[in-house]
Amino acid sequence: MRNPLCKRYPREFKKNAARYICTFLLLVITIIIGSGFLCVMEGVKYSLDEYLIENKVEDGYFETAFPLDDNVKSKLEEEDIVLSDNFYSTTEEFDGDTKVYVFNERKEMNLPAVFEGKLPNSPNEIAVDRLFAENHDISVGDSIELSKIKFTVSGTVSLPDYSSLFLNNQDFVMNPIGFGVCMVSEEGFERFDESTITYRYSYRHNDQNLSDKEKSDAANRIVRLLVDNGANVQEFLTSKNNQSISFVMNDVGKDGPVIEVFVYILVLIIAFVFAVLSAHTIEEEAPIIGTLRSMGYKKRELILHYITPPIIVTLLAAAVGNALGYTVMIEPFKEIYYKSYCLPPLTLQFNRAAFIKTTIIPVAIMIVINLVLLVNKMSLSPLRFLRKDLKKRKQKKAARLPNFKFTTRFRIRVILQNKGSYIILFFGIFLSSFLLMFGIGLKPLMDNYVDTIDDTLPYEYQYILKVPVEAEGGEKVLIYSLETAYYMTGSNVEVTFYGIQEDSKIFDGFTIPTEQNHIVVSDSLAKKLKVNAGDEIIFEDTVYEKKYTLVVDEICPYTNNLGAYMSINQLCKLLEKDAGTFNCYVSQEKLDIDDAYIAKFMDRKDFLGAAKQMMVSFEEVIAVMNVFSVFAYLVLMYLLTKIVIDKNSLYISFMKVFGYEKTEIRKLYLDASAIVAMVSLLVCLPLEAYLFKMVMEYISSLIEGYVYFYMPVWVYAEIIVIGAVSYFAINALHMQKVKRIPMNEALKNRE
Amino acid sequence: MKIKVNDVHKFYGSGDSRVEVLRGINCEIRDGEICVLLGPSGSGKSTLLNIIGGIEAADAGCVDIGEDCTKNMNEKELTLYRRNHLGFVFQFYNLVPNLTLKENIEVCAYLSKNPLDIDELLKTLGLYEHKDKLPSQLSGGQQQRCAIGRALIKNPSILLCDEPTGALDYQTSKEILSLIEQVNKKYRNTIVIVTHNDAIKNMANHVLKMRDGMIVSDYVNENPISAGQLEW
Repeated sequence: MRNPLCKRYPREFKKNAARYICTFLLLVITIIIGSGFLCVMEGVKYSLDEYLIENKVEDGYFETAFPLDDNVKSKLEEEDIVLSDNFYSTTEEFDGDTKVYVFNERKEMNLPAVFEGKLPNSPNEIAVDRLFAENHDISVGDSIELSKIKFTVSGTVSLPDYSSLFLNNQDFVMNPIGFGVCMVSEEGFERFDESTITYRYSYRHNDQNLSDKEKSDAANRIVRLLVDNGANVQEFLTSKNNQSISFVMNDVGKDGPVIEVFVYILVLIIAFVFAVLSAHTIEEEAPIIGTLRSMGYKKRELILHYITPPIIVTLLAAAVGNALGYTVMIEPFKEIYYKSYCLPPLTLQFNRAAFIKTTIIPVAIMIVINLVLLVNKMSLSPLRFLRKDLKKRKQKKAARLPNFKFTTRFRIRVILQNKGSYIILFFGIFLSSFLLMFGIGLKPLMDNYVDTIDDTLPYEYQYILKVPVEAEGGEKVLIYSLETAYYMTGSNVEVTFYGIQEDSKIFDGFTIPTEQNHIVVSDSLAKKLKVNAGDEIIFEDTVYEKKYTLVVDEICPYTNNLGAYMSINQLCKLLEKDAGTFNCYVSQEKLDIDDAYIAKFMDRKDFLGAAKQMMVSFEEVIAVMNVFSVFAYLVLMYLLTKIVIDKNSLYISFMKVFGYEKTEIRKLYLDASAIVAMVSLLVCLPLEAYLFKMVMEYISSLIEGYVYFYMPVWVYAEIIVIGAVSYFAINALHMQKVKRIPMNEALKNRE
Repeated sequence: MKIKVNDVHKFYGSGDSRVEVLRGINCEIRDGEICVLLGPSGSGKSTLLNIIGGIEAADAGCVDIGEDCTKNMNEKELTLYRRNHLGFVFQFYNLVPNLTLKENIEVCAYLSKNPLDIDELLKTLGLYEHKDKLPSQLSGGQQQRCAIGRALIKNPSILLCDEPTGALDYQTSKEILSLIEQVNKKYRNTIVIVTHNDAIKNMANHVLKMRDGMIVSDYVNENPISAGQLEW
């Protein structure tokens, strides 16, 4: 015989439809986000791994002021590497202020993957990066003009050495709108003026099983070999340190745990919501449970009975969430990656790990939490249930309250009675508000980041030179990169050293140290490394295997990069270079320098552009996040505050009999919940801000820069307003319920 | 099934507030009889019933049910004892609100290997035409009849009734007592009724009067009258 108690389930679902629909929807959305995102993420990872192997991504590159001669090339190839020219022309004038690198045809490494159309095979054809094409409305067959040369777009592609469009390796974020890459045929590349070409050489180890250490050692040997042979190396990056290659790998991998934690926290909250609801049901049905236990029902049978509805809802939500996550939600989640990165076509596979993480673990969380509660509750004797005496610890005396007025004391009693629900409500509000803070606060944070750079950037133009040439109007600077240990990751971060004139008119606001081994560090570096004036920092020159211990004199307000500043003479001395050596000009006006001598040119908009573009790729995610957090607010507030009314419906009925009016009843019961909700909202704000700051610290640890935490007061105000409006909308619903509680309930229930 | 209570003591509270609610109870309830446990509030009659039913433990002494002693049973064995031998009827009916009357009775039929025929029992209880109604659609008497049906469906050898008419009016109370009498005749189960209504003793075969945790009177009623004739 099937247990007749099972017949309660459909009726229970019907009776408490709102409760189950709300938790079901919240779970479905959570699981959709989890499964859809993890499925796409794993698909992207898989596709990317395959792509980088099959399309032979480089292990590193270097750029030289002039082309290498064959003798140096053959010496380099003795390092067991394949060396390949990867020259590009820089065009400035595309679509207003967009910078485009047009690469020469690739044959040995960094081979393009075609999305649409074909690779260029005539001098007039060009293949455009897929993301760049989408951002600039370029289609196959369109005609575009770069450096005043007309090309026809033969196809859209992705280049494995530019899966993320970083214009500069030290940029905080990618810049898929202000920067793009293209590829032309060899004949097409000859159409560009020699002065616009950068001589980049990519290399790839013949042995692809080298360790990171072996690759790093090989990189050092390559640089030394280049320098020893007179090559003027402008830039050297291994693919591990090259954000354009490594960023997507780090980002795709790092998103997973964040999403998993998000799913688990939400499932945990929903599990606790179910636990609170089950506890309420058990309290309500205590005499029935006592009767059934008296008749011989085993604890196990009743635990199974009460745990079944949350499990049914979770399993159903998992099935629907997975079905939607793996089908209709693939495209939106794919967009998140494909709007940010230049990735190869996506190959989706069923992912067992994602299934376990988004389905098995949430169901397990739900079972464990509810099982612990039910086992605990059911451990009481049948008699205790019959007597409705479910308190584990006997409450000997009522909590003593100060001599507040009656309504205040009453509300405090309601809060004490429902403290379990209110604790869960607090965590629910914390999580929802945090998501909301992320959604609302990210834009002002990014704007502030851009504004801070704009305010503190001391110059308008920066010219990195191929050879030191004289130019009027600029200040000579020696730029050099050293590394230092970063406590958060255990690996090194790159710090840009600026050797500046002692009487500099551009770098002002601090005293340029003239003492040996003394530096001024930028605010972003000081914050990232957590150093103060007077501290010592050990820097390392990985090429020449030298270490320098330098003392921080002062912290200057610059935020555009991780920079260290000292007098040019002291830097020359430190690096054992001839006095007066320089490789860069900075200026407030454009300088008259022949393009042939400029290795890299950057102006203010290049420094600011990337950060500005970040919000574009985040807009949809933020919108989803905001909608979801408001929905979570509504559901959690509705479920948890409704318990207060359900628990007290008999007493509310009594109140009506006594002659209390609806508004008075609201003041006693609903205002207690309102106070808890509003206090939770306020108390959570500083905690959320602290967590947000931690998240920013974590993000800063992943990038070659430092993100400042900034949260204007209006963000807090907006969160409070949204929270309050959500609560009062729910409150209005509860008022309707209070109105419907009949007076005869008090007279019927004589127990 | 015979019930033998041997020197049962029960205390509540501790320290200065420790109260002895049962002070060495000894009695024997014979197989198939209706035994009424009579006494004022606080006399310890419900506590004794709960100890017989294995939902409360005696602090001293023991209760023998047939050949078994409840004192030696662990929690699991007590559950099985209740499952296999006992039926409970309480003052408040404690029916599952979202199950129909028939389903409420089925809840306990599920526990038995040889349950009685539900439809026949419903007819005996006079509830057949109401079998598909929810408890909230019925009167208190009908709900109590259903609670009795729920206790009887397992065909238990012992039926323990704690103030079964406590929440009912005069006429309905008499109907319920008649039903209990009818059940006893039909199924021959041992029935223990806890009540503070002195009139009910007249329908019993065996009367135990309690006061202050002690049995003050224990006698066999040689001439029980039918429940329908009871008056109070």
